[in-house]
Parts: sequence; C-alpha cells; structure tokens
Amino acid sequence: MKSTTISARQAGMICTMSVLANKIFLLPSLIYEGAKSDGLFVVLMLFIVDLFVLATFFMLKAKYPNNTLDYILEKHLGRFFSKLIYIVLMFFFLFKVLLTYSVVYAYLKGQVYQDEFALLALISVIPVVNHAVVAGLRSFSRTVELYFYAISAGILVCLAVALVNNQGMPYFFNTSVPDFFGTAFKHIFTFGDYIFLFLIIDKVRMEKKEGKELLKFAGIGIFFVLSIFFLFYSIYQITAFMHNNALTDILSASNQATSVGRLDVIAMVTIMFLSYFQLSIFAFGFSEAFCNVFHKLNRGYSVAVFDVIFIVVYVILVGRYENMLLYTRNWLPYLALVTNYLIPLMIFFMALPRKKGAKYEKNY
Amino acid sequence: MSFLKVETKIQEIKKAFHSSSDFASRVLSNEEDRLGFIYLKSITDNQLFAETIYKPIALTKKKLTIKTLQEEILKPNDVMEIEESEIIDNIIKGSIVIILEGEKKFVAVDLLKYPTRTPSEPPTSPVIMGPREGFTEDFKTNISLMRRRLASKDLVMKQLKIGSYSNTKVIITYLYGIADEKIVKKVEQRLKEIDIDGIIDSYYLVGFLQENENSMFRQVGMAEKPDIVASKLLEGKIGIIVDNSPIVLTVPFILFEDLQNSNDYYTNHHYSSFIRAIRLIGIVMAIISSGLYLALQLYHYNVLPLNFLITIADTTQGLPFTPFIEIVFIFFLFQILYEVSLRLPSYLGLATSVVGALILGDTGVKAGLISPPGVIIVAVSKIALYLVPQQSSQVTLLQVIFIVLGGSLGMLGVVGGLVYFTNYLNKIDSYGSPYLAPYSPRITNDLQDGIFKENIADIHLRPESFHNKNKVRLR
Repeated sequence: MKSTTISARQAGMICTMSVLANKIFLLPSLIYEGAKSDGLFVVLMLFIVDLFVLATFFMLKAKYPNNTLDYILEKHLGRFFSKLIYIVLMFFFLFKVLLTYSVVYAYLKGQVYQDEFALLALISVIPVVNHAVVAGLRSFSRTVELYFYAISAGILVCLAVALVNNQGMPYFFNTSVPDFFGTAFKHIFTFGDYIFLFLIIDKVRMEKKEGKELLKFAGIGIFFVLSIFFLFYSIYQITAFMHNNALTDILSASNQATSVGRLDVIAMVTIMFLSYFQLSIFAFGFSEAFCNVFHKLNRGYSVAVFDVIFIVVYVILVGRYENMLLYTRNWLPYLALVTNYLIPLMIFFMALPRKKGAKYEKNY
Repeated sequence: MSFLKVETKIQEIKKAFHSSSDFASRVLSNEEDRLGFIYLKSITDNQLFAETIYKPIALTKKKLTIKTLQEEILKPNDVMEIEESEIIDNIIKGSIVIILEGEKKFVAVDLLKYPTRTPSEPPTSPVIMGPREGFTEDFKTNISLMRRRLASKDLVMKQLKIGSYSNTKVIITYLYGIADEKIVKKVEQRLKEIDIDGIIDSYYLVGFLQENENSMFRQVGMAEKPDIVASKLLEGKIGIIVDNSPIVLTVPFILFEDLQNSNDYYTNHHYSSFIRAIRLIGIVMAIISSGLYLALQLYHYNVLPLNFLITIADTTQGLPFTPFIEIVFIFFLFQILYEVSLRLPSYLGLATSVVGALILGDTGVKAGLISPPGVIIVAVSKIALYLVPQQSSQVTLLQVIFIVLGGSLGMLGVVGGLVYFTNYLNKIDSYGSPYLAPYSPRITNDLQDGIFKENIADIHLRPESFHNKNKVRLR
C-alpha cells in the first residue's frame, strides 16, 4: 500500500504556512486600530495559546502514536460528540478559507489587478486548491517543502529591506486593558491554525527527536509574523491603521525599492504562494473533517461539497470582503472560542499520561 | 514422423511464409543423400552460406546424417539440432534450416546478417570529454557495449519476447545485489503481461512501464549511451534493452535525472554544479517566461522598472494584436518552424532559418505585426527548452499552458500553475521513487549529486531516492 504519511519536518513547514498569509496582509492594521502598537503583544499572547495547542499535539502523539483523531475522540467522548467536534471543525476551516480568500482578494483587487476580477480569482484559486486536496497530504506537504525556502527568502528580503528602512521603535504600552483584550477577542478567529495538526495526527511520522523539527518550523512561522508586525508598526507608527497590506507596505516604504524598480513584486509573489498554500491547508482541514463526518463519502465528494458551499456562502453571505471582516470580528470569535480553546482543552485532558500501571493499547 | 521428399517439405514451409519473395531454398543431391536448405535471403549471410555450408556439404564424401553435419562437416558454425515445430522460428531468426531426407529432425545454422551501423555518438547526447559510443539498433551490439562497461558476473540479462508479429527481443538488465529484486519482478511482470501485435521501438514500452499511465510527464528514463545506462545500473536502476532500438529505457526514473548530463561526470564538479544551476534556471525560464511576460504586460505593468516599461510601451504601440494574441502567434510560428526544420532535408534547413529568422521575425517586427520584446521572450523560452532536450515535449505543453494562465489570470495564474503542477508532480512515484526527489521530499544524501554536485570521491553512498539493496558505493 502506498504510504500516506508525512515527516515531522514537512508537518512543521505546513504549520509555518498555516500561520502566514492572512496574518501578514491586513491583520496588522486591523489590530492596530484596536490595540495600537500593543497589537504586537496581542499577537504574541494569541500565539502563546497556539503553542499550547502544539504542546497538546505532542502529548497526544506520544500517547497515541498511530491512532486517528476520530478514534481518540470516539474512545473518550463517544460517537456523537466525536461527530459534533468534526462538524464544528468543518465550519471552522470553511470560514478560515472564506476569511483568507477575502483578505487575499481584497489585496489583489486593490493593489495588483486594480479592477474587479471576482470570476478570475475564483478560476485561479478553486482548481489549485481542489487539486491540492485531492492529490493528498503527502504530495501537498512535498510541494510546501519545495517552495518553503523560496517563500522564506521572499519574506526575509521584505524584512531585511524594512529593517534597513526602519527609523525607530513602535510606541508600546499605550492601550487600555479592555482595548487590549477586546482586540484579542475580535481577532481570535484568525489564530488557532495548529488545530489542523490534530486532524492529521495519524499521518505525521514522529521518530526520535523529530518533534524538534516540527517545533523549529512552527517557531519560524511565529517569528516571521511577529517580525512583520514589529517592523510594520515601527515604520508606519500612528498611520499603521491606514496601510492595508503589511508585507507589501513595509517594502514600498523603502528607498531601495524605488532605486531597483518595484521591489514589492517580491512581496506580491510571496503573498500569492502563501495564499495558495494557506487556502489549501484550510480546505484540506475541511475535507478531513468532512470525510470523518460522512465516512461513506470520499475526498472527491468533500471537494465538490466544499466548492459548492464556498461559492454559495461567498457570493450570498460574504459578497464583499468587508462583510467577511465584520463576521470575523463579530460572530466568528465565538466559534473560535470552541475550536481554539475548548476543543484543545478537551484534547489536552485526553492526552494526559495514563496513571501508573494502566495498560497501553497496541497501536495499529 | 518422417517424410519422403525434401521438395514436399520445402513447399510446405514456403506456403507457411506465404511464398514471400525473400524465401529461398536449395536442393542438393548426391549418390546417396538428398538435402534441402531453406532460409530468408534478406536476413542471412549468403556468402557465408555458400562458403561454409553449401560447399563443404557438396564436397564431402561422408554419409550425411545430422550427427556428421553437426560434428564434422559444419563444426565451425553455430549448429543446432531442431524439431519440426522450431523450423519457422529459426528461419525468422536468420538461420538456415537443413532438411535431410529420411531424418525426423532438422539442422539449423545461425547465419543472421542484419544491416547494422557501428556505435557512434548519438546526436542528442554529445560530450566534450568522455566516451562517445552510443547504442545501435542491434541488441547484440548493445549488450556487448554494456558487458564491456560492467564486466561483472552480477550483470544480469533476462530475455523476453514481446509482440505477436514483431517477436521483439527485450532484455531486462540489472546488477544483482544492487537492484531491488521486487522492482525487477514488477518490471518483468508488466512486460510479460503485454499482449500487443508489435514493438517497433523501445518507446512503445514506456506506456506500459509508467506507474501513472496517462500522465503528460514521462516516468521512464531514456538513454542512448552505454556509459549512462551503466552508471544508472550502478545506482540500482533497471535497464530495458529493446531490439531494433538505440534507446535503452531505465526505471525507476525521477525528473532530476534529465537535469543531469553525462558531461557533468567527466568534468570538474564545480563547473558541473554551475551548469546544472544554469540548466535549472533555463528550464524554469522556458516554462514560465512567456506566461510571465504576458502577466506583467497585461496585469502588473506597474511592478516593472520604469525604463523597461517605457521600452515595452514604445515597441508595442500600434500593434494590431493584443499582447496575448501576439505571443500566441509568435509561439506557434516558432513551433511551426521547428517542426518544418525537423522534417526538411538538411540543405533546405538553412533556407528555413533564413525565412524564419529574417523574413518572418525581422520583417514581422518592421511591419508592425509583432514586437521585438515578444520575439525575444518567446525565442529565449524556445531556446532554453533545449537545455534539457529530453523534456522538450513536456515543457512545450507547459509553455502553452502558462501562456494561457499568464494571459488570462495574470501572475496569480502563473503562481497557481506552478503550485498545481508541483502538486501534480509530487503525486507521481516511479517504482517507489518520489518524482521530484531529492528536493521534494528532501533526501539529504542525494543532494550530493543534486544541483550542487560534489566530488565523486566524496559520494560514498548510492542514491536513497531509488530502492536498492547495497547502499555503499565507495569504501
């Protein structure tokens, strides 16, 4: 039988890709609106929660090295609650796709295509995302592995140019506590990406010390996001809320950019790669959850259902990307409370080591 | 079963060959014996027949029996005693079959003579330094070329016959103790399962050997030189030699193999690394440059440096076609010229180049039908294609796809295309070897012979991308 597993290194790279994209375009300016430069600490705080999810993943993997999440949930919570969790995760990933797509679309429409191109964007995105899901986790993780260093180099170039151009430091500690936590709550849905790892827990090979690889790459992703936030707030200071795309704008403020032509093409291409990868990861999350809810339907069905729901919800419910941002701030945090906190907490208790003397199950 | 008359048997066999014009027979009689000779004069050495078979038999005073023919009269030849059912097979193989009146069995003497060419440097794999011999259409020559390079008892040659009409000899070759027996068995099984009328060239087998049969990407290696095949066998791969074809197939196959060239192994490894990097950049350029140019010109002109943008604006002003139509037009013009130059006699090739480059290109620009940047971009992509000639057909198709993507969806389409096709390629496994190894997934050991090649003295292990039994190649 053909192996479908991926290495811890590949899983780590997927982690990096899952935290980029929608956090480095529009989010920095949105968070600045609520928490000023202390938005950086908001992000840091939310990432710490994400790291708790990652730690839970390691614990669960140690306890159930080869078991699926479906099996673990059913064992502890029973069939009904297991299905319920998968349904919640299905919607979580669907809205994640919608949010990422809306943010990317807004960026491309405003800064790249400078025109309405809704149909073109759908034509570009849907086949690639569908194919990534159908091709399977193994081929997708290999693709991420192939482009990982090129994408990282793109982000590093943006960071390096921004660092050279940086004239000062952001003004910290000028936000009230309610504003700080209020902003954190509003944007909580943008985080919690590592929950994807639980869905593929049986497919990640974790040999001795390989967990470090996963942690290393997850750390790289968090480092990139925090660096971009920091440089973005440093460069634009109090006008940060007016700039809609952090990765591009930290480049375009540079003197170097104008002397060698438009350097923001690097950011543009990086964003496009990141968007495809992040959308594929979330779509894959949807598909995994779907296949676990409807055992008898294969991945092809999940993709078809995803396409229909995605297009219908996007056209009818979202319509404009501003609407999606509104939902993200007003409604989706409640869903995120369940997916980012409640479910990981439940899994944490499931992952707690057994009492001494308890028998370990054989892995299959 | 015995028969009475030689002539009757000859007529019977002639009928089996549908009285083919190259069917030949002779009858020789002396006082005691009557013999018949039957053969196909198109594939047997007639002079050798006269000198070493007909003449000694005609002049002998001995009693003619199968034993005397085998042991005394025809001794220097490759003589075999055969059954009646084997007569036709032996004649097809180029043997002369001797019928002795009154005998139940027959004698076959191998006198096969095909028109063969001597091993010469193949046009697609020339080297500056290194062996110049290439395979020929004669499989015996090809086997001897392999044996010369791998003079080992462990070089295994397994012969099969495929094709109900062509009866083509196919040899599976591998190094025992290095190649994975499971893969050998899998290949053998696949070849044995083929029930086809004829195998005209080794390429006929490609479709049967590929794991993803309908993929546009080839998953079987093709080599025209014995040194290349020998080095692949040393890596644990399996070769498939097909009679009548100068191309030897190898499996498993990964895409990166086409970026490697035999020249790389006969020159300084630093230079090889540089050339491999050029090849990689060139092939990526060949695939996306036309599409990228269209995307930048149509959707993202604001990211172009101002001077470049002014040049493009100047040269494209007043063109009757849209940029997309212009690039498609130039692309197909190049493709037509390429196809024509392949089929035209060489003395007309120069005329085609003049017509193509000067009249169609230069005059097209002067007439204001096409723009110089468009011609340059398409020309560069078409030339860069031949940095890796083995991939030219696949890359040409990808060029068309990326032109459409770049022209219709802009950069998002080009990037989407790259992600899509990388995913597609990552899905392909050739006999357990990841198609994009050693980069995706990264196989650290194999990076030694990757884009940046290390000195041969530092490469201690065989590639891990391919399943092989013996890992160590240098102790």
